[in-house]
Amino acid sequence: MSEHATVTRRETTVGTDEQRVEVIGKLTGDALYTGDLLLPGMLHAKVKKSPHARATILRIDTSKAEALPGVHAVLTGHELDYRLGLYVVDKDILAKDVVRHFGEAVAAVAAETDDIAERAVDLIEVEYAVLTPVLDPMEAIGADAPLVHPDLGNYSYVEAAFDPQPGTNIANIIRMRKGDVQKGFAEAEWVIEREYTNPSVQHVPLETHVAIVQWKAGDEVTIWTSAQSPFTVRNLFCTAMRLPMNNVRVIVPTVGGGFGGKAGIHLEPLVACLSRKAGGRPVRLQATREEEFSLLPCRSALTYRIKTGVRSDGTITAQQMSMYWDAGAYADYAVNVTRASSYSAGGPYDIPNAVVDAYTIYTNKPYGTAYRGFGHVEFFWGLERHMELVAQVIGMDPLEFRTRNLLQPGSTTLTGETITEHTGNPRKCLAEAAAAIGYGHLTPQEEQHERHTGRKIGKGLATLHKAPAMPSFTASSTVVKMNSDGSVVVNFALMEIGQGCNTAIAQIAAERLRFPIEKVKVAIERDTDKEPYDWQTVASKGLILSGNATILACDDLLAQGYAVAAQVLRAQPSDLDHDAEKVFVKHRPDQSVTWAALSIGYAYPNGNGVGGPLIGVGRYIAQGLSNLDKQTGQGNPALDWTYGAHGVVVDVDPSTGEFDVVRIASIYDVGRVINPGIVRGQCLGGMVQGLGTALCEGYIYDEQGRLLNPSFTDNKIPTAQDIPEQIECAAVETAQLDGPFGARGVGEHPMISVAPAIGNAIQQATGAQLMHMPIRSEDVWRALQDMEPIDNWITQTPAGSCRSELPTGHLPLPEVIIAPTRVEVPVLH
Amino acid sequence: MLRISVTVNGHRFEHEVEEHWTLLRFLRDGLGMTGTKEGCGAGECGACTVFLNGRTVNSCLALVAEADGGSILTIEGEAAAGKLSDIQAAFARNHAVQCGFCTGGMIMSVRDLLQRNPKPSVPEIKSGIEGNFCRCTGYEQIVEAVLDVSGQLDESSKGELRYV
Amino acid sequence: MTVAFEYRAPATRTELLGVLADQGPSVHLLAGGTDLLGDLRLGLVRPAVVVDLKKVDGYSALSWGEDDGLIIGPAVTINAILDDPRVRESYPLLVACAHDLASHQIRNRATVVGNVVNASPCADMAPALLCLGARAVISSRTGQRTVPFTEFFTGVKRTVLRPDEILEAIVVPPETAGARASYRKLKRIKGHDLGVVGVAAMTNDGALRLGISSCAPTPVLVEGLSAGDSAEEVVAAAYAAISPISDVRCSREYRQRMVEVYVRRALEEVAC
Repeated sequence: MSEHATVTRRETTVGTDEQRVEVIGKLTGDALYTGDLLLPGMLHAKVKKSPHARATILRIDTSKAEALPGVHAVLTGHELDYRLGLYVVDKDILAKDVVRHFGEAVAAVAAETDDIAERAVDLIEVEYAVLTPVLDPMEAIGADAPLVHPDLGNYSYVEAAFDPQPGTNIANIIRMRKGDVQKGFAEAEWVIEREYTNPSVQHVPLETHVAIVQWKAGDEVTIWTSAQSPFTVRNLFCTAMRLPMNNVRVIVPTVGGGFGGKAGIHLEPLVACLSRKAGGRPVRLQATREEEFSLLPCRSALTYRIKTGVRSDGTITAQQMSMYWDAGAYADYAVNVTRASSYSAGGPYDIPNAVVDAYTIYTNKPYGTAYRGFGHVEFFWGLERHMELVAQVIGMDPLEFRTRNLLQPGSTTLTGETITEHTGNPRKCLAEAAAAIGYGHLTPQEEQHERHTGRKIGKGLATLHKAPAMPSFTASSTVVKMNSDGSVVVNFALMEIGQGCNTAIAQIAAERLRFPIEKVKVAIERDTDKEPYDWQTVASKGLILSGNATILACDDLLAQGYAVAAQVLRAQPSDLDHDAEKVFVKHRPDQSVTWAALSIGYAYPNGNGVGGPLIGVGRYIAQGLSNLDKQTGQGNPALDWTYGAHGVVVDVDPSTGEFDVVRIASIYDVGRVINPGIVRGQCLGGMVQGLGTALCEGYIYDEQGRLLNPSFTDNKIPTAQDIPEQIECAAVETAQLDGPFGARGVGEHPMISVAPAIGNAIQQATGAQLMHMPIRSEDVWRALQDMEPIDNWITQTPAGSCRSELPTGHLPLPEVIIAPTRVEVPVLH
Repeated sequence: MLRISVTVNGHRFEHEVEEHWTLLRFLRDGLGMTGTKEGCGAGECGACTVFLNGRTVNSCLALVAEADGGSILTIEGEAAAGKLSDIQAAFARNHAVQCGFCTGGMIMSVRDLLQRNPKPSVPEIKSGIEGNFCRCTGYEQIVEAVLDVSGQLDESSKGELRYV
Repeated sequence: MTVAFEYRAPATRTELLGVLADQGPSVHLLAGGTDLLGDLRLGLVRPAVVVDLKKVDGYSALSWGEDDGLIIGPAVTINAILDDPRVRESYPLLVACAHDLASHQIRNRATVVGNVVNASPCADMAPALLCLGARAVISSRTGQRTVPFTEFFTGVKRTVLRPDEILEAIVVPPETAGARASYRKLKRIKGHDLGVVGVAAMTNDGALRLGISSCAPTPVLVEGLSAGDSAEEVVAAAYAAISPISDVRCSREYRQRMVEVYVRRALEEVAC
């Protein structure tokens, strides 16, 4: 038996199905979210938004709004000399002179009530000179395209990682170069090139973005916000406002879902400026659902072109990958999505010769930000559809083709990292997914169902992988404080946004302390004045980084306790042991001192005191990661890789294109399950969010760049009726050597590759070749009729009614090129 | 302004309200009962679901004036004397809560469903909660919680993470 | 929702009709509110007076007349239709359409009358009422008129109602009670959604009728068909009645083609 397995057997809290630690407040309605807070004197804010995608602001008249009784502050862009940006500093708090997307904020009001603020916003007059917007990213990189940011060359940016191209609409270029791609294509018997697309998508946390800010005299600022990352809000806020960090306090109570959309900084600076202008009264702004779609950011659209060289035995010899990311009007996270996607772009496959060129492109649309999966949901749609189509072209079963090319110990990633037996087991994930759905054949019942109904059943697979996208030196910390009854409070700044980190960290702390979980409290609210530092709550990195920091903090607390106990018990610390109640001498267990007696300093009978409050501190920083070479992309960006696979069974009505996803089996190598119910919750929830992306979600614009579906009326998300009848989630446990108890993150992964697994299953059922996501019934129907795909993502007709006749030649039709022909892919300037 | 009288979770309130206030706004801003959430304001997401005179409604789509003289039940009335209701306890046991923002409205719909149908089938459960969006859980563990509280959760319907 | 308005909840129809007669153009009637509250929030309507008709005596009644069949009052909710055993037995088509309308919470509030008065092309109740030969009883202070639903809708969100009038009752005639019928609605998701194509079919005494939603500026009735007509003839008649457009929900050609598929399936379901 391995050492890991021996350790496993001893664990009593890690691996158990503990109830979520903060669940009671959420069940009773007592849990306070930012939007529930009521501060004395609080004002309410509303935003004036641009109805145009690209326009020059000729005039803003706020006089009527200012004259309205109850209005305390009206702001316009020119009053604010600050610029924001995570990686490329390109965004004003309120638009100045130009608007760059539909829904962009051009003015804002703080007033006594919501109603007054809304009336005041209506009274603000804005005169625009409307300009033709740049909407299609492929046109935006053309030579004659108008520039979304003519001043790109003057913006500051993070030079270690990004590469904006002044004089163009390119916010970033990432290049990866592995092996010799020319040689690889020369060795191929087949070269297959195709293009895959998907539109922008909204995160749809049930709680819309909300911030309350009070900017008091002396530039003391307190921010209550629905943010995922309180320290990032503080950092970016202080940088933009040129304030010292000790003037600014960010408090995050319960958050109603984030999914990446609340990762950066959003409403906070605007609300802060309103508060300052309103004389320091607290100001609250909560986005409406409609504002959530266009005032707040979305997920970027992607066009992914993949050219693969392959031999008839199924060996991939070379792959050229070109990603065109539609950033929208501001770079925000999109430039980093581009980077993280580039080094994962080939999937969990061993590709000896590879080229990736990825472009982040500015357009006049609502801007892209982080979204669960950070690019991988988007590009895996293309990649795993492509693997299916390549297999079809060379006449090999897609499972066999995938398995043949999967990473294995000794393989190298696109950035040159060597995979080991501890990295994780994509092979097992894929094999188990295939087995779970009975891949490769239909059961007699399924065949009978086809005969009786005229419907078609198909079974499809898709793999996935992802590593956290984060700076190479990302750090987290945890503080564990003992109460005077021997219970503990754990403080850390990783944000509970529903993913279950509070419970996982409580279990890790309880396990490491060898305390029952009832003695461990995780502080609910996060406060940058009180919690120790964490970078962000993103990237599925929290479990490893905060988990490790928590283990170290527990060790520190135990060591402090042992040091005092050794003194009290007149023993060597190495001769001590403990249980949940006391520290004792191993060989004389009756000689003991309680944790309660040690917790805040030990008092001898005569009154002398020793020790002091037991406060364990743990700090953990990612180990051995490096920047990527800007020319070749080589380096070590991955804290860990979580692998997975989905198997999907669909039941398709070929005459309408309607289909049911009747079964889905998802397998992930999570290293170690800390809490099976919570891991399963992430798997189920992520899968259904992936189902939404796969089936029905996406932004639709008119040709003026106005968003036509900014609400749940025409941007549907899955309901309980939409989930598959049978859902199975399974875990592989290949221990992550540097993970807490062997664990690695799985927060984002379940959302990845749901769509291509469905697309592949539909293709197996019907032959429909789907190149665009989402897969609406009409898309399936069209593919079956060999009709041109419906392209209503930018429609030619006015709002509410899109075009009925499709132009020809707008979207390049996918082409299949059979070797020995070699096609040079157009290289971007 | 109107003066209305309503009973909320068994307590009677007399209150001045504006004509255009929704029931949701009255509960949150008027009474400070913030357990009922606004997710869309348009009757699509169900986060604001409460009982009005015995039937579930989207409180964002009702004027508070309409509730005058009526009886309202919200999530704050679900637990009794500091003890979770059976539905709440089943939600906790079955991991039917993640971010918690939809939970109050969801529990209202589940209570309504179980009052109409004490042993709902899985399709009946899904139909009963289709008006309540949840973006976190994928609904499956909520369905299991409803099966659990209605005494129908057995080995075949109990979902578990499989280890392979 | 910032626009202040006066809220009135008359207890009698006389009072209600009086308000409509005096202030009709500035009045919006509130029944279930599931459309009105959304429009108020978005500022799409700015009424001076909102008149809640739920407290009017008798308006929540679902009744049965000897000659008239089913009479649906203006405050009768969708769920009241679904919950009524006699409606379920006599008018399965009404029930099928009601069942596909939105979510349970919405059905608790939304009314049958409100659904048709709102006059959306995708109104779920319209295909059933058209097939069933229902009539709209329209009242004002000056009198009452009855309009068959084939003449009720005049355009997208437009009806024959004048500002001083209220649709006071929907009368579903007894002749169509027990008719064999089917309703199919093509949606984008399986959960509550607006239909992108809705097809109701009903055979009664050898006659075949289709009610189609979301495929023309108004819901449409296709009549003059008989149960013995070939599927091709029926589809041709349906095609002649519709004029679908492309919009954010789907394309014109998909709508058109799905009408054919759905009509053919409906025919199979209502065939004896």
